[in-house]
Amino acid sequence: MSRSLLTLLGIAIGIMAIISLMALGEGMQQAVTGELSSLSDVIIVSTGGGGFSTFGGGGSTSNGEYFTQRDVADIQRLQGVKEVSTQLASSGLAEYNGKTTIVSLTGMDISVMRLQYASQNLEAGGFLNEGEQNEIMIGYGIAHNTFDANISVGGRIKINGEKFFVSGIFGKQGMGGTSSDSLVLMSSRDFQKLTGQSNISLIYLRVYNVNDAESIATSIQNTINGNHGQKDFATATTMTSILKTVQSIIGILQLVLVAIASIALVVASIGIMNTMLTSVMERTREIGIMKAIGATNLDIMSIFIIEGMLVSSIGGIIGIILGVFGSQGLTMILNSYMSMGGSSRLTPIITLTSVVLAVTVSIIVGVLSSLYPAWKAARMSPIEAVRYE
Amino acid sequence: MTKDVIVTQHISKTYGRPPLQVFALRETNLDIKQGDYIAIIGPSGSGKSTLMNLLGCLDKPSTGKIFIDGSDVSTLNEKELARIRREKIGFIFQKYNLIPTLNALENVELSMGFAGVDSQTRTKKAKQLLEMVELSKRLTHKPSEMSGGEQQRVAIARALANSPSIILADEPTGNVDTKSGENIMRILEDVNRKGETIIVVTHNMAIAQRAKRLLRIQDGEVREDHV
Ligand SMILES: Nc1ncnc2c1ncn2[C@@H]1O[C@H](COP(=O)(O)OP(=O)(O)OP(=O)(O)O)[C@@H](O)[C@H]1O
Ligand SMILES: [Mg+2]
Repeated sequence: MSRSLLTLLGIAIGIMAIISLMALGEGMQQAVTGELSSLSDVIIVSTGGGGFSTFGGGGSTSNGEYFTQRDVADIQRLQGVKEVSTQLASSGLAEYNGKTTIVSLTGMDISVMRLQYASQNLEAGGFLNEGEQNEIMIGYGIAHNTFDANISVGGRIKINGEKFFVSGIFGKQGMGGTSSDSLVLMSSRDFQKLTGQSNISLIYLRVYNVNDAESIATSIQNTINGNHGQKDFATATTMTSILKTVQSIIGILQLVLVAIASIALVVASIGIMNTMLTSVMERTREIGIMKAIGATNLDIMSIFIIEGMLVSSIGGIIGIILGVFGSQGLTMILNSYMSMGGSSRLTPIITLTSVVLAVTVSIIVGVLSSLYPAWKAARMSPIEAVRYE
Repeated sequence: MTKDVIVTQHISKTYGRPPLQVFALRETNLDIKQGDYIAIIGPSGSGKSTLMNLLGCLDKPSTGKIFIDGSDVSTLNEKELARIRREKIGFIFQKYNLIPTLNALENVELSMGFAGVDSQTRTKKAKQLLEMVELSKRLTHKPSEMSGGEQQRVAIARALANSPSIILADEPTGNVDTKSGENIMRILEDVNRKGETIIVVTHNMAIAQRAKRLLRIQDGEVREDHV
């Protein structure tokens, strides 16, 4: 009895792993897809050949050269382009609480800002208010690790001698990608007024028709490269292509997770086989009696196969239930590790497919692993088995 | 003329290889008629169980042929042998050999299950049989909750479940007291009166004397004793 219980547990753990890992993968898939697909008509143009990699960052100019107003105008003229906005980059002197330091400044339209940092969680405050002047948003590092004192929402920082109010502070960025920790974000208008510059590090644009995005991206690249006389000065990346890449990465990740779960199941099936073999041994006499009163080999085999199936499908059902809780726990751990907040917080999604898969897998495991013990039981000679003590 | 239900032709059973070969049964020829009541006696180790196991198709003879209801069992495959054991023969063991995890009713139903009888008919017949062996009050008892005599009566009911034509009982009273043994023999004799062929191995001369035909086995050789 306790032996069957252990076997049951083995299967349950394997299935739990499958269910919770698949739920996690599905959750990731949907989180990313949902977030990015609302931006599917967006094209981001950045400098350098590497392309725009991570959300909430980018825009660093590798060769010191920026986009020009002519580039922006050329893009605006292209067929199918809806609206264009820019991200400006410069550096400035920031002073707070008597200490002065150099920070990099980023300026962009507030609506673009909301889009680009939608996935970023805020520690305090909110986004810049349309129409307000001299407001900034700052990264966690600027707020806490740059000056002698912590800066909070409503705090006043002097940048290039001009007073700015902090409207919001980004949460600490975890391990992922480019950091927003050292951001100082302001509106394009404030930026130009303050620096007198318009160093465009990134260009955002939306297109009318998502299907045209790829071809528009290509012509943008050609146009700007032509303007600058360089072969790969600019890279235009469509959201759809980012989406595809992310989806395929998650797909691979899911596969790996399921592979790990399968290892657990293989171990569990060895457990079932072992349990069944012992059970066949212990029930040798019983098998002999059944054959003596007329059971066929097939009858005996089905008894053990059904038993194996029963153990594994009960284990499977327990595993599914555990998997539902397990996936919640797993995402909780992941969420706290990656300190992801806001809309990008993961939620596990248990699909019917994964449940059906789990049940099927557990039944198959049960049948396969009881096949050999059942065959061993069936081929016993009745007289030997009856004599067995 | 009554027909032969079992015929054996020169059957022998040996264990091991020469020169250490043991003859458990030697050159045995038997004709067993429908409705017969045969007692087999002989000293311990003389080959009684060996013969019974061969007749019950639990084992195969080393040489010779066994015909059951006219068919040569050496030519049958595993499935057909199982069918003979299930439908033509009811085997009763000295040690009852009930399935310990099943109750009385389920034990009796088991062989009908192998025969493909539907569960309603199965339960009805099993209850009838258990009533016949006076165990109506023990239907849900497990073997461990019954006396030896009761267990053996469940075993008799089980042997009769698929209405076989031959009942083979190897020392059915060997493990029970005189009174229970008497009870068991009375049931078997009743069954015989209804036309069933009964073969009983016993050490009890009083029981053996009541049979219609008496076989004495010594050193693997069968001799006929007339009652
Ligand atoms: N599997 C076996 N291997 C070797 N020898 C065996 C085997 N089974 C039986 N024998 C031998 O065959 C002979 C006949 O045994 P059998 O069991 O038929 O005796 P029996 O007449 O039923 O005795 P008992 O009255 O004690 O039950 C014995 O000498 C026994 O030792
Ligand atoms: Mg014996």
